[in-house]
Amino acid sequence: MSTRPVILLDGDASSPPDVLGHKGHGIDMMRRNGLPVPPAFCITTEVGVRYRAEPEATINAIWDDVLAGMRTLEAATSRTFGRGPHPLLVSVRSGAAVSMPGMMDTLLDLGFSDDVEKALAAEGSAEFARDSRRRFAEPYQRIVTRPAPDDPYQQLGAAIESVFTSWDSPRAVAYRAHHGLDDSDGTAVVVQAMVFGNINANSGAGVVFSRNPMTGANEEFGEWLPGGQGDDVVSGTVDVEPIAALRSGQPDVYDQLISAASSLERLSADVQEVEFTIQDGALWLLQTRAAKRSAQAAVRLALQLLDEGLIDEAETLRRIAPTHVEALLQPSLQPETRMAAQLLATGLPAGPGVASGRAYTEVDAAIDAADRGEDVILVRNHTSPDDIHGMLVARGIVTETGGATSHAAVVSRELGRAAVVGCGGGVAESLAGKVVTVDGNHGEVREGSLQLSAWSEDNTPELRELADIARRVSPLRAHARGDYPRLDRHTEAEVRSAMASGHSDVVSASPLLAMLAAIRLSGVS
Amino acid sequence: MSELGVLQAVRLKGRVSRDDLAATLGGDFVDVVDQLVGSGLLLDGPTLRLSPEGRRRLEGLLADERSHVDTAAVLAAYGEFRSVNAEFKALVTDWQLKDGQPNTHEDAGYDAAVLARLDDVHRRVTPTIAAVATQLPRLSRYSVKLQTALDNIHAGQTMWLARPLIDSYHTVWFELHEELILAAGLTRETDDA
Repeated sequence: MSTRPVILLDGDASSPPDVLGHKGHGIDMMRRNGLPVPPAFCITTEVGVRYRAEPEATINAIWDDVLAGMRTLEAATSRTFGRGPHPLLVSVRSGAAVSMPGMMDTLLDLGFSDDVEKALAAEGSAEFARDSRRRFAEPYQRIVTRPAPDDPYQQLGAAIESVFTSWDSPRAVAYRAHHGLDDSDGTAVVVQAMVFGNINANSGAGVVFSRNPMTGANEEFGEWLPGGQGDDVVSGTVDVEPIAALRSGQPDVYDQLISAASSLERLSADVQEVEFTIQDGALWLLQTRAAKRSAQAAVRLALQLLDEGLIDEAETLRRIAPTHVEALLQPSLQPETRMAAQLLATGLPAGPGVASGRAYTEVDAAIDAADRGEDVILVRNHTSPDDIHGMLVARGIVTETGGATSHAAVVSRELGRAAVVGCGGGVAESLAGKVVTVDGNHGEVREGSLQLSAWSEDNTPELRELADIARRVSPLRAHARGDYPRLDRHTEAEVRSAMASGHSDVVSASPLLAMLAAIRLSGVS
Repeated sequence: MSELGVLQAVRLKGRVSRDDLAATLGGDFVDVVDQLVGSGLLLDGPTLRLSPEGRRRLEGLLADERSHVDTAAVLAAYGEFRSVNAEFKALVTDWQLKDGQPNTHEDAGYDAAVLARLDDVHRRVTPTIAAVATQLPRLSRYSVKLQTALDNIHAGQTMWLARPLIDSYHTVWFELHEELILAAGLTRETDDA
């Protein structure tokens, strides 16, 4: 063991993300910069690795350190875990070295007993105490696979073990395989004092992005759920409000939040996605990470950060994956088009692709309309086997019930139809007869027939700007035209052979993609 | 082949050619079909369809069939079907999507691992169909059709896993699911999709 097994995240942890985990490192960084973060400690990834080999011995060996960590949280919050008039509740979260959003387990509101519930009811309200206990008990039973014991320390121990174990859950294993991450590591565990967005009307939870991660516009973007907790916001099962609702409701807190998000962006030199809770008018930041973004936003945001001097040219190109550029060159629903159209329904994306047409709810009517030459969207409560003839003539498929593996989803994918399933009751009725666009990539149905468009290396200013930068950084300069040898394709093999032949300039149909390949090959960035 | 068998097959297919109907029924039941067309229960054309009268007649026949079965036994079989149904649909989804993207079928190892799971699904569903066929002998035909699809898949014709409009494993399964929901007296609104 090269470091302490339990490290306080007080801004002074001075350990890298591969020890603290990505989440723990972010919390420590926020504390160091004076941002309001609930007190927390982390059990390191090294313990996570050892746990996978020897679960019981590992937990026993670190338990005293965990208890010491709990004493620190108690002191910092002036609350007591599992007892007293001001009980402390904690969250137990996973935190691998590289962020794996949603792949591992999180348990909230640990530390409940009947007495604790009474004390919380006296502090807040009976409803708040009951709601928090429900938020604790239901996920606990699902994740730990047994009912929560009355002993808060048993709850804490079982939660820590569950989070360590979730490193090896099938979805986490699949995620690492897909992203080429090392399977032999383990996760850290972050134990943090709970803050409560559900305590009163002056509270809530949300997520804020320092810039718009869909369009790439330099504007705040986010979601806000008054009276809710962070798990509600992430779950997608509750209707959240745009972040602008917080600005009108609690302008001072909003300003504080936006200023925190932009300072985190400067500190990390990347656009941030920040989870926050407001408890009775006080802002708390729970975690921060580099924002997930669309291909359009990846390009625009990298260029903005370059323009603002936050990153250099080589880093700008590093932020753009070739798959981003390839996606942009394909016709797609541009984020600004998508966001401007009214959202009529949301569900699970079940068949990739985007399709527009008039919504029909009966198979025979759909077939008749298609025979008349109409573009048809089939909307059903659920699909039966005989709906296949309606699905065949439809460009897109929407259902009210059913999941991403439902028969409707299976058949839609088999037919190559854009599909959104599980949109909820009443959607067939509300969509019937309307011209709509089914976005099977995002799981949305929007009003109108939305046009797809593609970026091009020749005509899109952002891609031209990137190509100019690449020509300054890349060992192989690729041009759209000119008196140079021609590169037939932009594959790594072709690029490698051009460079091996000593060419410094080539002509390519996709100069930017060719140069991104060259930069990767040469390790310049 | 009974009137019920033919009408139900046409209903599940929606619109079906005489050839495809014969294939799914496992025999040419020209007389029954002609009789049903003659009495207006089936609409003839390039494909056969149920008329509204045919649909009503089928519902009556199904209700009568249901009244003779042990509902508890059917519900028990349906319960077993549901547990293997979840695995089957996940398997087909894994076949279609790899890491959330359409499966390009370039990774032979991945595909083989997914298809290997189908053998287990088949082993699990076969006794369930046998159990429900003691109540509804008509449904034993689904075992035969699943086996045929499985044999084709084993022979390398993977379109027999999920392609619509042919009696692929998923097409047969989807129809079987519908039959079991009906036989158990449930509806899809109260059940999963």
